[in-house]
Amino acid sequence: MAQRFLILEDGSIYPGQGFGAGATTTGEIVFNTSMLGYQEIVTNQIYHNQIIVFSQPIVGSIGIAHDAYESILPTAKGMVVRDVTDISKNRQRSLSLDQFLKQHNIPGISGIDTRHLIRQINQTGTIKGSIVDVADDHAFDQLHATVLTNQQVAQVATPRPYPNPNQGYNVVVIDFGLKHGILRQLSKRDCNVTVLPWDASAQDVINLDPDGVLLSTGPGSPLDLPESVLDMIRTIQERIPLFAIGLGHELFALANGSEITKLKLSHQGANHPIRKIITNEIIYAMESEEYVVDPDTINRDRLITTYLDLIDGSIQGLRHRDYPAFSVQFFPDGAPGPNDSVDIFDEFIEIMGTRE
Amino acid sequence: MATEIQKILIIGGGPTEIGHETELDAACVQIIQALKKYGIRSLLIDNNPFSAALEDVQPANMFIQAVTADNVQRIIEKEHPDAILATVGGVTAISVIQELQENGVLADNEVQTLGIPADAMMDINNPDRLNDVMRNVGMPVIASETVGTLDEAINVANKIGYPVIVKPIAPRIDTNRMLCETEADMISAVSRGLSWSRFKQCVIEQSIVGYKEIELVSMRDTMGTQVLVAGLENIDPIGIHSGDSMVVTPTLTLSNAEYEALRDTAFAINNQFRFTGVVHTHFALRADGESFYVTKVTPYNDRGTSLAATATGYPIAYVAASLYLNQKLTDVHLPDIYHFKQTALLEPSLDHVVVRIPLWPFEDVTNADQHLGTVMKSVGSTIGVGRSAEEAILKALRSSQFSPQDELPSMSNLTDTQIISQLIHPLSNRILVLLEALRRGYQVDELNELTKIDPFYFVKFKHILDIEEDIRMHPMTIDALHEGRYYGFGDGMIARMWQTDIDQVRQLGRNNQISPTYKGIEPSAGELQDLPTAYYSTFELENESEQLSDKTILVLGRGGNQLGPNASADYFTTEMLKQLRKSGYQTVIMNTNPNAGSLTATLSDKQIIDPVQLGDIMNVIGIEHPVKIFVPGNRHYLTRELRRRDYSISILPPDQEKRSELLNDHANIGLDLFVAEDHIVPILASDLRSDQGIATTLDQITLMRTPATLTDQQLDKILAHAKEYLGAHKRTGMVQMLYTTNGKQAPQFAGVRPTRLTTIAYLNKVTGINWVRMLVRQALGELDEDLIAKWAVDIYSDRRSQVRGTFPFKQLQLPDQLGLTTQEVGARISFETF
Amino acid sequence: MAKVVVDAMAMQRALTRITYEIIEHNKGIDGLVILGIKTRGVYLAQRIASRLKQLENADVPVGELDVTQYRDDIEHDSQDTDPQVTVSKIDFPVTDKKVILIDDVLYTGRTIRAAMSAIMDLGRPKQINLAVLVDRGHRELPIRADFVGKNIPSSQQERIKVSVSEIDGHDSVEIIER
Repeated sequence: MAQRFLILEDGSIYPGQGFGAGATTTGEIVFNTSMLGYQEIVTNQIYHNQIIVFSQPIVGSIGIAHDAYESILPTAKGMVVRDVTDISKNRQRSLSLDQFLKQHNIPGISGIDTRHLIRQINQTGTIKGSIVDVADDHAFDQLHATVLTNQQVAQVATPRPYPNPNQGYNVVVIDFGLKHGILRQLSKRDCNVTVLPWDASAQDVINLDPDGVLLSTGPGSPLDLPESVLDMIRTIQERIPLFAIGLGHELFALANGSEITKLKLSHQGANHPIRKIITNEIIYAMESEEYVVDPDTINRDRLITTYLDLIDGSIQGLRHRDYPAFSVQFFPDGAPGPNDSVDIFDEFIEIMGTRE
Repeated sequence: MATEIQKILIIGGGPTEIGHETELDAACVQIIQALKKYGIRSLLIDNNPFSAALEDVQPANMFIQAVTADNVQRIIEKEHPDAILATVGGVTAISVIQELQENGVLADNEVQTLGIPADAMMDINNPDRLNDVMRNVGMPVIASETVGTLDEAINVANKIGYPVIVKPIAPRIDTNRMLCETEADMISAVSRGLSWSRFKQCVIEQSIVGYKEIELVSMRDTMGTQVLVAGLENIDPIGIHSGDSMVVTPTLTLSNAEYEALRDTAFAINNQFRFTGVVHTHFALRADGESFYVTKVTPYNDRGTSLAATATGYPIAYVAASLYLNQKLTDVHLPDIYHFKQTALLEPSLDHVVVRIPLWPFEDVTNADQHLGTVMKSVGSTIGVGRSAEEAILKALRSSQFSPQDELPSMSNLTDTQIISQLIHPLSNRILVLLEALRRGYQVDELNELTKIDPFYFVKFKHILDIEEDIRMHPMTIDALHEGRYYGFGDGMIARMWQTDIDQVRQLGRNNQISPTYKGIEPSAGELQDLPTAYYSTFELENESEQLSDKTILVLGRGGNQLGPNASADYFTTEMLKQLRKSGYQTVIMNTNPNAGSLTATLSDKQIIDPVQLGDIMNVIGIEHPVKIFVPGNRHYLTRELRRRDYSISILPPDQEKRSELLNDHANIGLDLFVAEDHIVPILASDLRSDQGIATTLDQITLMRTPATLTDQQLDKILAHAKEYLGAHKRTGMVQMLYTTNGKQAPQFAGVRPTRLTTIAYLNKVTGINWVRMLVRQALGELDEDLIAKWAVDIYSDRRSQVRGTFPFKQLQLPDQLGLTTQEVGARISFETF
Repeated sequence: MAKVVVDAMAMQRALTRITYEIIEHNKGIDGLVILGIKTRGVYLAQRIASRLKQLENADVPVGELDVTQYRDDIEHDSQDTDPQVTVSKIDFPVTDKKVILIDDVLYTGRTIRAAMSAIMDLGRPKQINLAVLVDRGHRELPIRADFVGKNIPSSQQERIKVSVSEIDGHDSVEIIER
C-alpha cells in the first residue's frame, strides 16, 4: 500500500497508507463513532462531499455484503481509518472493501491516528480535507481552492421516478438521496412504493393518490433546496399522512416555520440516548446530524417536539399539531444502528390505516 | 418498595476457584461504595480471606462464614435485612437464594431479592425453563430434554442424535456444558452432572459445537430502559468453554444486522424476566449468520461483565447498584472520576480492541488433561488493549506467558501430525499452535475448516507473522522498530529477534522519536473530551497521558490470576493502593487482569492496562517519573532489571529476595512477626498442616490453624527464640519463624521465611490490623513508636480460626490429591468452628 | 384457540397515535377531560392522560365511569338489558368540557350509550368524543368511535380479550374462539 496523506484546511498532515481508489479527493471531514456497519455508512448518500473518519478500529473485516448497501453508487469522498482488513466473504470471494472502493473511485487511507483526528476536529469544528499523494503546497492550494457543491441532493437523488411494486399501502417516497434502509422497511411492510425525484411537485404526488408520503434522508443543507420543496410539503401534509427522516425532517421543520442551524461539529453515531417524549422511553438509533432544528424557533402552535437527544439536547423528532405528519432526525431503519425505533415505520403504516 | 431499603445482605463470591476469581469481589467493592452513597448499610457474608470487600464493611456487618443456605438463613433471622443481593456471588449465591426462596425463608422474613425478580430466580440456571421463556418471546431454541436418570438420558440422546451436550440443572459449581461424542462420554457426563445438580437433573441437548459464540453485556432499570455496554466475541467456537476461549471486544466479525438482532433478543429476554442491573447473555451463531440460539443468561456479575467494564470504562457494578435501588438509568449519578458525566446512558463506543487470553494451571498441576473443552480449566486471564487486533492480540499474548522476559515460547518442535491433532483437539497453548500452523504454510480456509475460527483472525495472525519476519530481517532499523511497536511487539521481543539487549532497542526508539502514545479507555470513542483515568499505550500521533504529579508511586500489578500466591496478590495490591493514597501519594497501577479489583478506577489515580514487562514499565516511568515503584510479591527479573537502571523499588512484603533460611524442610508450628527498625512484634502462632493432615514438606503447608497447639511455656520459648534470632539476623517486614514439635518436647527451630501473601491476608482478618498497610507505611518510612504502640496484638489469644487453601482438582477432573502451595487456587477462612 | 392480534408494542403505538389524534382533533388540550370506562378503559385513559402530560406539560383530568354491563367476553343470556352506570369517580365538572370517553372494546354500542347518558346527567359537555382500543364491529346502535386503536373485524362467535399490564401483567389484545 502506497503512502498517502490526509491534509486538513488548518495545515495539519496525517500520513497513512492508501487503499481503495488512488483518487485525490476533497471533502468535509466528518467522523462516525458507530462500531459496526462500515459498508452501510460508506454507501449512505448523506456522505456525498464528505470524507468519513471511522472511530471503529477496524473496517473491512466482513467484506462487502449484498444486503448492506444503502446505495448502489456511493459518492462519499473517502474513508479514513486506523486499520483496514482485506477480506471477501461473498460467494465468489471476490469483493473486499478495498476492491469495492476502487470500483467506485473512493479513496481510503489507513494507519491514521483516528482518535487524535477526532479529538482535533472536536476542537476545530467541521473542516475541509483532502486525501492526496503528496502533502505539498500545491495540495494545500487545491484544498483551499476547492469549493464543495451545494447541489448535493440533485447529484445523488434519482432524476426520474421508479416503482417498487407490492400489495400494501401506496406510498410515495420523495428521494433526496435516500438510504435503502427506508425502502427495505417499507418493503417489509408490503408497501407499494413509488420513488419520485426530489423536485417532484405536490401535484405529481397527488396524481399517484398515495396513502402516505415519505420524505427521505439525503446529504447537505436543507437551506440549499428551493422554496418549492417546502411548498410541496405544506400542500401534502394537509392532505396525506407524511413521514420525514433526516434531511426530510429538516425540510419538514423548515416548511412549518422552524429554523435550521448548522452544528459546529456534526454528530454521527448510534450511542446517544434519545428520549421518546410521549412515553419517556429511551431509544438508541443511528444519528447523523450536521444541521439541526433550532429549538427556539419551533412554532409550538404548529409543531410538537417528540424526540430529544439526551447528550447534546438536539431535537430528534417533530409532529404536526393539526395533521398526521411527523418526522425524525435520526435513522430508524437500523442500517446501521439499533432497531430500537424501527417501529416508527409501523406507526406510519397504522396512521395510513386510519385514513382508509 | 425498594426505596425503603436500609439494610442489604450481600452474598460474597467465596474462595477463588476455576470459574471465578477476583471479579466478583471487585464488583462487590463497587457495589458497597455505591450503597454507601445512598446511605444503605451493607452486610457481607464471605469466607474468602482475599476479599477486599470485607475490608470495606464495618466489623459488625462482616460475616466471615461459608456461603451456605444455612449460614445465610441464620444471618437473615438475626439481622433482618430488607433485601438480599446475589449478583456478586456467582452461581453459589444464586443457588443459595434459590434454596432460601424454596424453603420460604426469604418470604417469611420479608427479604426481597435485588436485580433478579423472585419468579425469574428459578429459571436462570435451568436450561429447560430458559427454553420455555425463549419460546415465549419467539426465539429459536435448541432441541433438548430434561433427564433424571441414565436410562432416560440414553433414550433422549439417541433421539436427538450425537454429539449431544449435557448440562446439569441448577449446578452447585460453574460447569457450563459437557460435549459428548459417544454414549460412553454421555453416561460419564450425566453421572457427574446429576451429582452436581441440586435437583439431580440434567439437560441433554443438540450439539451446536463449531458455532460462533457471542456474548452481550447490558444494563436494565426497573422502567425497562436498557443500555448495551459491550459485545464480546469468542475467537474460539462453541465447544470450548467461553472462560477458556480467547475473547475480543468489540465484536469484529459480525455484520450490523447480526449484531442488532442479538441486541434485540437480549433486551427482549431482559424485559421478559424483568431483570435490573447487569445481564450477560450468551449466544451461539451459525457460521453463515443465518440463525442463532441463546445459550445462557446470567443476570449477575461475572468475568464477562468485568471484561466489558474494563474494556469500555463503563462502571457496570456501580451503576447496577443504583439500578437495584430502583434508580433510573437516566438519573444515575456517577462518581466524578467517571469522565462521561452525561449519564449512565451513553452506549459505549470503542476505538480500541481488547483481547482476553486465558491463563492455565498446568505449569503447577502437571497431571491434568490440557485439552480444552466444554468444562472450564483456566484460572485467570489477561488482556491486551490496542488500536489494532494485532496489537491487542500480541499484548495479551505477551502478558499470558510464564516467562518474565517478554518472549513467546516456540512451537517449532511439534510434528505436523501433532499440529493437526492440536488444531482439531486444541490444548491450552492453542494460539501458539495456530501461529505455528500458519508459519508452516497452512492456508486460512483450511485452518478455518479445522478450527471453526473466523478467517479474519487468521488474516491477523498471518499479519503478525509477516511483521515478525520483517523485524527479524531488518535488525536495528527505524522502520522495523516502528512497525513492531505499532503492532504490539514488546521491546524485549524485538531485542531478542535482533540478538541485542533491550537498552539498544530503546535507545534506537528514543533517538528517532518512536515514542509511546497513551490513549484513554473511555466509552465515547473520542467524541467527548473529558479524559478518563485508564489508559493503554500505542505508537501513534497523540499522547493523552501526562505526568500525574511529582509525588507519584507506580505499582506493578501481578497481571492475570494464576495458581499459588498470586491468588492473594490482587488483594494485596488493592490494600497497597489504598494506603499509598492515604499517605498522600498519587498512584499509577499497571495491570492486565480484567478481573482485578486493583484496576477499579476509584482506587488509583491512573490505571495503565499494558503488559507488565520491562519495556512497557520503562515507558510509563518515562512519563510519570515516579518517586518509587512498588512491587507486590516479587518479580525477580523485573526488579533486578529496574534496580540495575537505578529506579527506587520497594518489594512488598519486603525481604522476599532474602528468601528462606531453612534448617529443615519440615515444620508444624509457625510464628509470624512484624520486624521494624527497633521492634519485633509477634503477631500469631499457628499450627501448620497440609490439606490432608501432617505436612511432610513446606510446600505442603496449605492450612494454618490457631491457636497453635503449644503450651504457654512453649509459646514463650519460641517467642524468646524468635526475638533473639531476628535481633541477630537482619530482616524487615514480616517473617514466619518455623518450628517443629511433637507435642511434649520443646519446639525445634526449623527455619525462617518471608510471610506468604496468603498468610498476611489471614493475619489481617484474625488480628483486625491491616498488615499490608503497615508494610506500605514501613516502606514509606511512616512507622513510628506511636503507631507500633497502637498495635494491640494478643499473641496468647485463644480465639479459634483457620485458613485453608483450596485446589482446582475437582474442576480439572483429577482425583483428590494432596495440594501444594503452588497449586492453591484460593483459600477459605473460618472462625470458631471448623 | 387464542390469537394475539395486538402485541404490547402495537398497543403502545395505538395509544400514542390516539393521543396525537386527540391533539390534532381538538387543536390542543384546552378544556379536555378524559373519562375511562371501567375496568380497562380507566387504565387506557390514564395512559393517554400521561402521554398528553408528557407532550403538553399540562394535566388533563381523568375520571372513571363504572358501567354495570354484560361483558363482551363473558357468556350472557340477554343482550336486551342495557348496561347501567352505577358508581363513578369524577371529581371535576364536565359542563362545557370536551369529553374524551375511553373504552377498551367497542362492540354493540350499548355501553357507550349508557356512559353518555351518565355524562349527560353530570352536566352538559361541549362535545363528547369516543376513543377505543379495539373496534370489533356488530354495532346495535348508531355509535361510532372518533379514535380507534385497531379495527378487528370479528365474528360474534369469537371473543376479544384485552389485557393491560396494570392488572393483567402484560399488554395484548387476543381473539379467542369460543
